[in-house]
Amino acid sequence: MKNCHQFLTLKDICYSYTKNRQILSDINFSLSESELLGIIGPNGSGKTTLLNVISGILKPYKGEIFIQNHNLNHLSIESIAKFISVVPQNTWVTFNFKAKEVVFMGRMPYISRIKGESQEDYKISREAMIKTHSLSLSNQNIQKISGGERQRVFLAKALAQSPKLLLLDEFTSHLDLTYKYEMLNLLKNILKKENLTIISTFHDLNLASIASDRLLLLNDGKIEKIGKPKEVLNKENLYKVYKVKPILINHPQFNVPQVIM
Amino acid sequence: MNKSLVKNTGFINWKKKLILIVLFGSLIVLVIGIFCLNFGVVTITPRDIMHLLINGTQDKTTNLIIWQLRAPRIVLGALTGAALSTVGGAFQGILRNPLADPYILGVSAGAALGACIGIAFQYITGYAFASYLPLFAFLGAMLSLYLVYKSSKISYSANSTGLLLSGVAITFLFSALITVLLALSRRELHSMIFWLMGDLSAANWKKISIILLPVFIGNAMLFFSALDLNALSLGEEEALHLGINTGRLRIRIFLIGSVIIATVVSFTGLIGFVGLIIPHIARLLVGPDHRIMLPIAAFLGAVFLILCDILARILLAPTEIPIGAITAIVGVPLFIYLLRRKNQ
Repeated sequence: MKNCHQFLTLKDICYSYTKNRQILSDINFSLSESELLGIIGPNGSGKTTLLNVISGILKPYKGEIFIQNHNLNHLSIESIAKFISVVPQNTWVTFNFKAKEVVFMGRMPYISRIKGESQEDYKISREAMIKTHSLSLSNQNIQKISGGERQRVFLAKALAQSPKLLLLDEFTSHLDLTYKYEMLNLLKNILKKENLTIISTFHDLNLASIASDRLLLLNDGKIEKIGKPKEVLNKENLYKVYKVKPILINHPQFNVPQVIM
Repeated sequence: MNKSLVKNTGFINWKKKLILIVLFGSLIVLVIGIFCLNFGVVTITPRDIMHLLINGTQDKTTNLIIWQLRAPRIVLGALTGAALSTVGGAFQGILRNPLADPYILGVSAGAALGACIGIAFQYITGYAFASYLPLFAFLGAMLSLYLVYKSSKISYSANSTGLLLSGVAITFLFSALITVLLALSRRELHSMIFWLMGDLSAANWKKISIILLPVFIGNAMLFFSALDLNALSLGEEEALHLGINTGRLRIRIFLIGSVIIATVVSFTGLIGFVGLIIPHIARLLVGPDHRIMLPIAAFLGAVFLILCDILARILLAPTEIPIGAITAIVGVPLFIYLLRRKNQ
């Protein structure tokens, strides 16, 4: 097979909620291990839908997804949960669980409902909280901590799931500047140490440009361009997709393009 | 960084907690149950009761009052309270709605309609089949369960709103039919109203033996879904990401819970408020983890209903107040007090 060495491959993915409106059409790309792919595009271009298709909760009507040579269509949601974990955009929790209880829920795919959890599950949850600097939040009520803190707890939960692929949906949208860059460093560290592959949607193009190894620019459900930030963030592409003519400069430290209005 | 917070980051094994809860809970329910044998129209001294429990007695009247009247009533109250509370907690979990109670998904309205039809029949035909009333109620409950299940499938079964709306709609329909029956009724009105408010006075061991199995097996099945209920509080999509088939989970809990409730209310009538408030009190006391919260709710519900039934009997003795009224009159102030204390 051609894509044997690839970690994740999407082949001709098409998705629509209703018959007359196509949300994703002919999405094709591959990802190698330990890569961070940023998905960018205007509102309604299909970023979150693409993420939900990859996580297996939306079924495309055409096309296939392979993760480490397993066809996602043939895996149950229980097995997918052992491969892929997600940090959602909406982190509201119905009841007032403690932060550590939320993190522990990440172990759910591994716990037998009859036997219950093992010490190992507690250990992994604790380590995930240390990695995300959320250990001090352990006993806090998840409904009463700030959006940024909740985001870290949910990242810990996603790591406790011991995934191979981590999906982030507009991960930094609730965070202020300090936390944004702290989170970014955190992610890059985790990426290096954990042998994780990450796909994240971004609202903020400049952050996407700094964070990602490659960018995928979506336009109305189709891939406009995929490549290194320098190849994707240029005037023609941005005009085509966003209908604006911004100024592009080079980031002096990271040597990637930055967009200013 | 606060040191005490860091220290307490460990996880406590829930199995040990659970064993403790079950042991203590059973003990407390037993002690309160025995204590409540004291209350009734005929005065029997605590000494005589202890004597009877340990050695048996020759006095036939005392034996009859304790074993055939008071004890079954207490046991039925305990089982009913436990069943309503756990099902209420589980329904709040699957619907992700703290206002849900065991009656919200329509099964009780079905039971009520069945019972009212039974009572009306009884008066029209003049044939006394009071002992068949539970059967009428159970058939009504099964009918509404079927209707809610079918209509939630037609709408959007993968969504808790679909199930909730179907339940509420069927409840309205059945309540309307009950109102029609009430409006048409004359002499039977009192029996109907009493049934609708709940009543434990007709307890006997045969009824208990019928509801015992569904309550125990059903509750055990609910407890094994407790982890999945926890995950569902993160939201529909998050639970799916954790590998939980949320659609199937919801239908499973709905069916198990409804069968438990149908069996219980068929014998006791609609005792309100317990199933709404006890899960909240349990959550205030031990937190929202369903693996701990549901068993605690079961024991609290049992104790709460035994005590409410005693109040219903003695407050205006010899007149009995419907127990459904007592649960709310006692429960609301208690709940508001706990809520205030929690927030301070």
